[in-house]
Amino acid sequence: MKKKVLLVSVAAIVSLAMLLLFHAPGGFAQPAAPKTIKVGSSISLTGRFAAGGVDVADGYKLAVKHVNDAGGVMVKEFGRKIPLELILIDDESDPSKTVQRLEKLYSVDNVLVYMGEFASDMNIAGLGIAEKNKVPWIGVTIAVENAFNQGFKYTFAPCMFSFMEVGSLFDALDTIPKDRRPTKIANFELQVDWGKECTKYLNKMAAERGYKVVLEQKYAPDTKDFASLILAAKSAGADVLFSVPTPPQSMTIIKQMKELDYAPAATCFIRGPDLSNYWQVMGKDANYILTCGEWTPEMPYPGNKKLVDDYMKANPGKPIGMQVGCAYGAIQVLADSISRAAKLDRESVREAIAATNLQTVRGKVTFDKRGIGNVPWSLCQWQNGKLEVVRNPDFKAKPVLLAPAWGKRQ
Amino acid sequence: MPVQVRNWFVGALGVAALALLPLGIRGEYSLTILCTLFLYVTTSQSWNILGGYAGQVNVGQAAFFGIGALTTRLLWLNGMPFPLAIVAGGFSSVLLAVIVGFPALRLRGHYFAIGTLALAWIGHITIGNLLPGISFLTGRYVATYSLVLRYYVFLVIMIAALVTIYLVVNSRIGLGMEATRDDEDAAQTAGVNIVKYKVIAFTISSFFVGLAGGGFAFFYASYYWYLPFGLMWCFEPILITFIGGVGTFIGPIIGAVCYVALKEIFALTLGEINILIFGIVFILTILFFPRGIIGLPAALRHLKSQKVSGGAGESIGPR
Repeated sequence: MKKKVLLVSVAAIVSLAMLLLFHAPGGFAQPAAPKTIKVGSSISLTGRFAAGGVDVADGYKLAVKHVNDAGGVMVKEFGRKIPLELILIDDESDPSKTVQRLEKLYSVDNVLVYMGEFASDMNIAGLGIAEKNKVPWIGVTIAVENAFNQGFKYTFAPCMFSFMEVGSLFDALDTIPKDRRPTKIANFELQVDWGKECTKYLNKMAAERGYKVVLEQKYAPDTKDFASLILAAKSAGADVLFSVPTPPQSMTIIKQMKELDYAPAATCFIRGPDLSNYWQVMGKDANYILTCGEWTPEMPYPGNKKLVDDYMKANPGKPIGMQVGCAYGAIQVLADSISRAAKLDRESVREAIAATNLQTVRGKVTFDKRGIGNVPWSLCQWQNGKLEVVRNPDFKAKPVLLAPAWGKRQ
Repeated sequence: MPVQVRNWFVGALGVAALALLPLGIRGEYSLTILCTLFLYVTTSQSWNILGGYAGQVNVGQAAFFGIGALTTRLLWLNGMPFPLAIVAGGFSSVLLAVIVGFPALRLRGHYFAIGTLALAWIGHITIGNLLPGISFLTGRYVATYSLVLRYYVFLVIMIAALVTIYLVVNSRIGLGMEATRDDEDAAQTAGVNIVKYKVIAFTISSFFVGLAGGGFAFFYASYYWYLPFGLMWCFEPILITFIGGVGTFIGPIIGAVCYVALKEIFALTLGEINILIFGIVFILTILFFPRGIIGLPAALRHLKSQKVSGGAGESIGPR
């Protein structure tokens, strides 16, 4: 009898314990799900980089809206979809503020992931903080490969780097019939790490692919007079001009080239002409200029049309900048990674980001071991007021147009 | 209690409180804000001893801040113990002052300001050209990065700067500097060696700005080499000093607290218009309190006396 009572008592206690464990709120079976998944970015909403920063912010906001309209991100750990909460804080285009803001996002808001910023100065400051705090960081517009050679584990950038940008130029030039193909390159090297990296790859790839760098001239980020460089390129007979100028310089160089009647068959400025207002400022002088082609509204990738339509609805009359699509793609990578991580801890999400293999609005994204994105090498050209894709491995691009002499242009 | 003793007592209490603060604060954000605050107090007070007390408006402080940061970072990352590297950073800034700055002291007024601004600009361009890349802390340094340690570094630099400057401005040297500021010709006629006082002020100013630059180099995990040579390091200390009260010891401290706090609150709450609002607040401060926040009680007393006397009162115009 005593034994029976004991057995019944043990069974009752175990049953009660099981009930408490598996059905009580916050029990071990199903931990309480957070209301939102917080992700944050310190971003230039004011100051000298605000134009690009606002584009990046717009891309983030729209992508987060689309994710949340679909219920949020599925997190297996909690067995349900959880909406994203995007926290954007202005860094005033000042890298010292970036550090403060990222520390706030980490220790006060407890964000799961940092999203990148528009300009390199701030992104570079952010990389170190992300690594220090062990918070995954997904960038949007960082082209300096060296930043990813430091052995950092938490930083990822699904965008084109210097070697891809230079490579895409050669890919585009290779599509031109041999008898008309320009092959003599003048390189105006901007004296920043990005410019130096591009020079390294330009020389290497030119030698490998049958082109010749006939001129290499350096200039500082605040140079305003390019006459001596242009005249040197002209006298060297260069029919391709390559550079990564600042946006104002990309306008100044073209104006001075026109004044000095220098019209190489191909002019490729990776930065500057990619801005949505370039045609408005330069008019027809922008024609034939090749530039970065990371994303355009016409790219036939899944989801791109919805992105463009919704952006246009929300911002009638506002030109849609390249960074909007790039930022949107970065959020797609984030949402996919959280979903695959199945948990909301930073280490799991970091591992999931590293294993990304996703079709986004900017093409397929994977990462190498350094966190550098493997994305389509794409190049654009201004053709009669429109930024046309002239090189992309995923779809049929427009042919590259060779620039005639200034006097022969319509 | 004599005023001097009371000041030292209050100062010691403040230092003790700040030294114990990390025990109660765990968040990286709070520590980062405090590090920034200490950095701004140091750079502003360093500007103040030269600009506010000796009357030499140095608009090129970024050159001295930058050279301190550059020297410290290079030496530290190449194996020199950090305490030695940061002291070397301070002295490198003094060396720059000796080579370039002291000859600039021959210039007066606006010409000195323009000359020092040119120096900062030259420094920015030169470093941008010579070192166009990024300075990263390697994995070993990142793995052992301690924000609390940075906090104490900035605190020690700030206290050293404040104590030194307090002692100097409350001595005969301080009187000499103020005489130089108020009227160089009159001071010279009265036998004041104005060059000596300018040189002393410039040396102290550049040394502590160099140390602050060293703190910056220790604090940032990654940055472009040219960043500490940016013109913001020229203008922000001036802005802070004017907000707090130029030519006063407490002014830059109050200015830095207000500047850091308001900037942070505005940026976190006002979004894209935060800079506009901050600009308006700054203009109103300069317009209505030309002596800075430190002049606020006097301005209020003035208003009160005007009410009592029906209009007549002491002037609160610029010094």
